[in-house]
Amino acid sequence: MAALLMLSEAEKAFIVHGVQDGVRGDGRGCEDFRVVELETEVVSNTSGSARLRLGQTDVLVGVKAELGSPRLDCPDEGYLEFFVDCTTSSANATPEFEGRGGEDLSLEISSALQRSFAHAGCLDLRSLCILPRQQCWVLYVDVLLLEYGGNVFDAASIAVKAALFNTRIPTVHVSEDEEGVREIELSDDPYDCVRLEVARVPCIVTLSKIGQRHVVDASLEETCCCRASLMVSVTAAGAITGLRKAGPGSLHPDSVCHMIETGKRVGVSLHKALDAVLQHEESQGTKREKVGFLG
Amino acid sequence: MPFDSRRLQGPEDSQSPLLFCAPAAPRALLDGRGKRADGRAPDELRASFARAGLLSQAKGSAYVEAKNTKVLCAVHGPREVLRREDFSMSGRLYCDFRVAPFAGARRCEARPPGGDEREAALAVVQALEAAVRLHRYPKAQIDVFVTVLEDDGGALGAAVTAASLALADAGIEMYDLAVGCSARQAGAVLLLDPSAAEEYGRYGEPARGPSVQAEQHGGLTVALLPSLDQVSGLVCQGEWDEQVLRQAVREAVDGAQRLYPLLQQCLLRAVRRSVRAPEAPPAGPPAGPPGDAGSDAGIPPGESEP
Repeated sequence: MAALLMLSEAEKAFIVHGVQDGVRGDGRGCEDFRVVELETEVVSNTSGSARLRLGQTDVLVGVKAELGSPRLDCPDEGYLEFFVDCTTSSANATPEFEGRGGEDLSLEISSALQRSFAHAGCLDLRSLCILPRQQCWVLYVDVLLLEYGGNVFDAASIAVKAALFNTRIPTVHVSEDEEGVREIELSDDPYDCVRLEVARVPCIVTLSKIGQRHVVDASLEETCCCRASLMVSVTAAGAITGLRKAGPGSLHPDSVCHMIETGKRVGVSLHKALDAVLQHEESQGTKREKVGFLG
Repeated sequence: MPFDSRRLQGPEDSQSPLLFCAPAAPRALLDGRGKRADGRAPDELRASFARAGLLSQAKGSAYVEAKNTKVLCAVHGPREVLRREDFSMSGRLYCDFRVAPFAGARRCEARPPGGDEREAALAVVQALEAAVRLHRYPKAQIDVFVTVLEDDGGALGAAVTAASLALADAGIEMYDLAVGCSARQAGAVLLLDPSAAEEYGRYGEPARGPSVQAEQHGGLTVALLPSLDQVSGLVCQGEWDEQVLRQAVREAVDGAQRLYPLLQQCLLRAVRRSVRAPEAPPAGPPAGPPGDAGSDAGIPPGESEP
């Protein structure tokens, strides 16, 4: 995806030397994120949604809860499905995503999310089960990339956590008649709903190696100077739930270890900030004015 | 599932009988003497076999076997990219990763490669990009076809190894081989080069039992350029403690280093074979570059039988 922006060698040298001295183009330190704008409940037809703007990157996430049959190998659990769309509707993100251009990126993002969410205690999937082997909740998480400004992986994962926090699944009552036929009844009270426990949901922190140092949340210009990056999924408790090297370059084993360390540190503080924002938004309740795309 | 007219029609849906087995009792990964189920020590690699240059039609090919994991790889190219739109001064690597339908414990559908396979292909490409001198092949594309014949754990690592052997066999310029190695962790146990039964979340493994959930679990695959000491690929999943993960990366890097001499010998043998292949080589430089190693038997084109 480096071809999105072309930089001359001199510009690259400028950025690399800057990072070497701990200075970045927009005045951030090496472990700082750009300003994040986050809003939940932006789309009303979903069970949960969030929109996130990280610098120039804009991501919209919708979570829809639907009834489906459980997977055969885990009959007493619901499941999550990730769909990432960088192709059709996000051709406005950048023209290169038109047609099949964004397919690889969408695949990479969805598999990165899938991988980070694969560990056992991430979400309580058993609470999504209604009738073992018959009915369960399926959470369809749809990520829509609206604008591409670098570091989409982190943006997508933060937005997914916010959307899951915002998700409300209607309560289900199972009744059984005399013949033993079970019926599922959905509560129609909008306040009678189940919330998901997101304390162990991970966020991705991408560390990009530029010159001899690594930076967090690389902008588009910095992405051009970066040969290899490491995506680390971190939970709020500091456990690492996924790791993936990206980019055409290679890394020394020692710097891999350093990057894991930094990733954990940054991830934990990211979660702390995110939780505070989500709690604050929650506490405002209906008084909160929804800005949506008018902001 | 929609009807696929390009294949013989089978039953619409079928399940593996293994799904209906009683779940196996949780079993410790290490026995009392600290050995694994197959008698290996935790940091012992499986007995591996590697051979380069076994296919005659491909420019380069390799076959890697680690006990029951069997991976075949063929390299074609470099060939000209037909699509004019993406001009680039450096070459492109294209990888097609296929898992044979009979490779795993359960049959996987023989259909155009799905998400998992395409993701594995991306991982292989990323692991190889750092090793291949792509700037020597402007406007060209190198095709790498990986087929997993049998998957008994560590297929991605074996695929990276096989692909870099096949590239070397094809005479593609490289900085170094990329050697894949995987590791698996459960609680305090760290296993190198796990088999399918040991690997995380695989069928037959009681990965969802209450006692197992309390521990931290994870799997990790590293691709290493051994003589440069650089990690070119790294994928991991599961739940890790940071310290343990760093330890696991080091162990896997060490495992890949130990695999390296085998691959060097294998390439050396392939070159020797291709040099010896034409009877009584004429004076001068013996045979062609190792790039011709693909033709194992027979005479290079242009030379006639005496």
